[in-house]
Amino acid sequence: MFQITDIPRILPEILLLFLALIVLGSDIFEKWGRTAAAQLERARSSASLTAIGLGLIFIITLLQSGYIPGTVVAPEASTTNPLLSYLLGVVRNLQVGGPGGAPIVGAFATDDLTMIARLLLIGAAFLTSLLCLDDLPTAHPAEFYAMILFATTGMCLMVGAQELIMAYLAIELTSIPLYLLTGYVRSGSRSAEAGMKYFLFGALSSAILLYGMSLTYGFVASNLGGIAVSGNLTQFERIAELARDGGASTPLLTLAMLLILAGLGYKLAIVPFHGWAPDVYQAAPTPITAFISTASKAAGFLLLLRLLSVAFPESVGSATLGATNLGGWTAILALLALLTLLVGNLAALPQSNTKRLLAWSSVAHAGFLLLGLVAWAAPERFDREQGSVALIYYLIVYTLTNLGAFGALVAMSRAGSGVEITDLNGLARRNLPLATMLTICVLSLAGIPPLGGFFAKFYIFMVGWQSGAYWLVIVALVMTVVSLSYYLRLLRAMFIEAPSSGEPLRIEPATMTTLIITTAGLVVLGLFPNLILGLIGRVQTIAGL
Amino acid sequence: MGLLTLSPDIPWLSLVWLSMVVSAIIIALLPAAQQEAMRWVGTLFAFVSLLLALLLFLAYDPQQAGFQFVERLEWMPQLGISYQLGVDGVSLPMLLLNGIVIFTGALMSWNIEQRTKEYWVLLLLLTTGVYGVFVALDLFLFFVFYELAVLPMYLLIGVWGSTRKEYGAMKLTLFLMAGSALVIIGMLAIYFGSGLRSFDMLLLARHVSLAGELQRIFFPMIFVGFAILAGMFPFHTWSPTGHVAAPTAVSMLHAGVLMKLGAYGCIRAAMWLMPAGAATWLPLIAILTLLNVVYGATIAMAQRDAKYIIGYSSVSHMGLVVMGLAAGTQIALTGAILQMFAHGIMTALFFAVVGRMIYERTHTRQLPELGGLRKVMPFAAWMFILSGLSSMGMPGLAGFWAEFTIFIGVWEKYPLVALIAALSIPITGAYILRAVWAVFDGEVKNPAFLQLPKLTWQEYSGAILLAVILIGVGLYPAILTELIATGVRPVVDQISGIIIAGR
Repeated sequence: MFQITDIPRILPEILLLFLALIVLGSDIFEKWGRTAAAQLERARSSASLTAIGLGLIFIITLLQSGYIPGTVVAPEASTTNPLLSYLLGVVRNLQVGGPGGAPIVGAFATDDLTMIARLLLIGAAFLTSLLCLDDLPTAHPAEFYAMILFATTGMCLMVGAQELIMAYLAIELTSIPLYLLTGYVRSGSRSAEAGMKYFLFGALSSAILLYGMSLTYGFVASNLGGIAVSGNLTQFERIAELARDGGASTPLLTLAMLLILAGLGYKLAIVPFHGWAPDVYQAAPTPITAFISTASKAAGFLLLLRLLSVAFPESVGSATLGATNLGGWTAILALLALLTLLVGNLAALPQSNTKRLLAWSSVAHAGFLLLGLVAWAAPERFDREQGSVALIYYLIVYTLTNLGAFGALVAMSRAGSGVEITDLNGLARRNLPLATMLTICVLSLAGIPPLGGFFAKFYIFMVGWQSGAYWLVIVALVMTVVSLSYYLRLLRAMFIEAPSSGEPLRIEPATMTTLIITTAGLVVLGLFPNLILGLIGRVQTIAGL
Repeated sequence: MGLLTLSPDIPWLSLVWLSMVVSAIIIALLPAAQQEAMRWVGTLFAFVSLLLALLLFLAYDPQQAGFQFVERLEWMPQLGISYQLGVDGVSLPMLLLNGIVIFTGALMSWNIEQRTKEYWVLLLLLTTGVYGVFVALDLFLFFVFYELAVLPMYLLIGVWGSTRKEYGAMKLTLFLMAGSALVIIGMLAIYFGSGLRSFDMLLLARHVSLAGELQRIFFPMIFVGFAILAGMFPFHTWSPTGHVAAPTAVSMLHAGVLMKLGAYGCIRAAMWLMPAGAATWLPLIAILTLLNVVYGATIAMAQRDAKYIIGYSSVSHMGLVVMGLAAGTQIALTGAILQMFAHGIMTALFFAVVGRMIYERTHTRQLPELGGLRKVMPFAAWMFILSGLSSMGMPGLAGFWAEFTIFIGVWEKYPLVALIAALSIPITGAYILRAVWAVFDGEVKNPAFLQLPKLTWQEYSGAILLAVILIGVGLYPAILTELIATGVRPVVDQISGIIIAGR
């Protein structure tokens, strides 16, 4: 039963939805002139409304989560100052809806995983909107920004989904706006083509996902064996429960799991389901590429984590080479990770376009991320939970890194430069701060200490090693060295090659803000991972059993 | 030396590497036009770090031995990662060496006019990493500093280098990163295999609980991973190309200190933490280093580029270091560490002469094009001859004691290896004399050489400092050897303990 007290628990999603509607609605009151100045004004007002709104929602969510020490309001706290007392009441009521409690109507969990993921996703959306602030779309700006907000809502719902239908709807709510956003720049044929491609692949993957889900449902329903239906049969926990009773290694359930993995694999651009990714990443507007490659991927991985660990805990399997129980999902994921690492990194080698290179690199990073899920092959619960922590840490760092890297490309194309690698030539001499920040992002992607990317990789190697997938860790390490050779090409272009023009590059303030936030985050998280590791550690209590 | 006592309340070791970070930040904040200020800041801070290293050297108590000035802060306690620093008889000479080389290297960098700010920032970041490695006592921290020391190299060589710089830079970085990948595998094996779930090196060395079988699998990975940086055959090919391509100060740091980083990693991370693996693999490594020593020297003989000669001589001399390590006896290890110090100073002087004094003026390093430079710059000639003599192992210079000790140590263990390695001595003499003859002797080949600009005070002072140390250690090697002997003892004890138990 949905209760009125559940409303604060889904407050961030509600606020996102409201913001989207406000952005759409407020556009009516803008001046719809045909002149460039009028259009610019209209776009800018939508953009700033989105950015400010997302910033506020981020702060509210942060307050609600109570993760910042000193912001937790104790139940007995009181003050005589009427204004302070009012604020105290507001925050206290907010925090009542903080992490914890049983899933709402059994379908939407509001635990620490959801809370941390919300912060990550809303933060990513906020930085994306800052990037868009300078990279203005031409027509119907309000729809553009509303789409970003709808997609963010979908992602937040995705990470909390505790039930198949909820998960499916959230995925669709995320994907459809993203298809539109990809094809938003209608002047160029490439963007439209990419949008179409993304849509077709996405529709196919949704179908596969649905097959998997319906097979799962069928399995669960038949296993029930005539007992009166109690509760929702599509809930992850129920699936696990009934699978335990009815023998976990049923081929039907394994097939269902495979189909679900394939369906989600498309969304996450895991090899061999990655075909759409390079084209879409290259042709989409750059801020949207940043958004797809970070937030959408993060949401997908967290859904995968929850789905696999809660619904299929019995068929974990093993990722050790030569193990007998290869039927489990860790074995499949380990295989996919191997392919993803190999294909992603090797395909990135010959690229000459920076955006496409980063696209392949994000395919490759999905391979590293999968290691965090493979950690579930470890027999000890402690090690499995470490896997989740490593995965989330990696996602946070990766989100910051990619937003920064694509942000730098946004800055460059805003300044009239292309995004070929040769366009980066001599960037250090045209704009040293920009080159430094892009370098920090690239080095973090390559996993060089003391940046966040290093510890993320190291941690994920640690958990992968402990799960017994030594071979995979070794392949990942070799691929890290391979990846260095293409990341170094970017460095070489920026620092070593002579610039094509001596003109300094100017960066817009909003893009600059994004870049500073991301690079500072990378350095700080790299030096002091403990700032968030303790927080992420709380996820353990739920991710599953 | 135990000559003075330092207040235990001040984190001296952190100060050493932090001084480099601070100077890098100051330089980064200076306006781009203030090149002179950047040079002063960089050199002054390099001097400060040298002074700090010297203070530590004087305050270290060899009677007490072991790790001193230990600092410990929790970093990621749930993963067994801490910020732990400390120095012993092995790391202290290295710390001092790094201080000397960075200070002289800074003096030799005053002629960098192009993109001065980036140059100094990267140079100081590189030094930060090197200092950090020598003081780190946590395997994770060790690795973080190690990587920090490797990466700025790419840009330093790529931007300010010469002769196929991009190729040299890329090759160097990829080789070293491949080494790091091997090291990570070894680290993970130690971390999980030992069952301690800690990267604390003191703890790991105290209870070597990694099974002997696993040690035998993973020892070569860690050892080779670091030995790549030490230029061990057959992974040495990056080193001459890298040295040749690098700008002078970077060549000095690179051959002088960075290659020592590799050897230091071999002894600290591989041999100390996996003695059983070491006992199994060291004989094979000793044979491989033979190739380094003899083959490196032979190749040096055939070079026409003066920097390539020094590059290959580094391969040959670092081979001696690794050979000393591979012998694994008290004397050989002492010699190896002393050789690291002596070779560091000597190579720095070599590169200062060839890279800075000669190449920056004549713009060529080809032996046939040079000649008669003794008449033009007698100081450079004497400096070159001095380091050449040390390289050949002339008694009275630091190199002699180092090589002598290594040969004695190796003779104890593998007489045949020592015998074959001794072949390198006459070859070294030959290529050094050939270089001296071709560069400095005879008539001035190119009349333009007569108009070369005079040496600057930075070049004089840097070279004199290096030369004084070379002679000083040569006259009184005990100043270092006593210290080193205390440092290598725990490693030797662990390895010989395994060998005795094996019988």
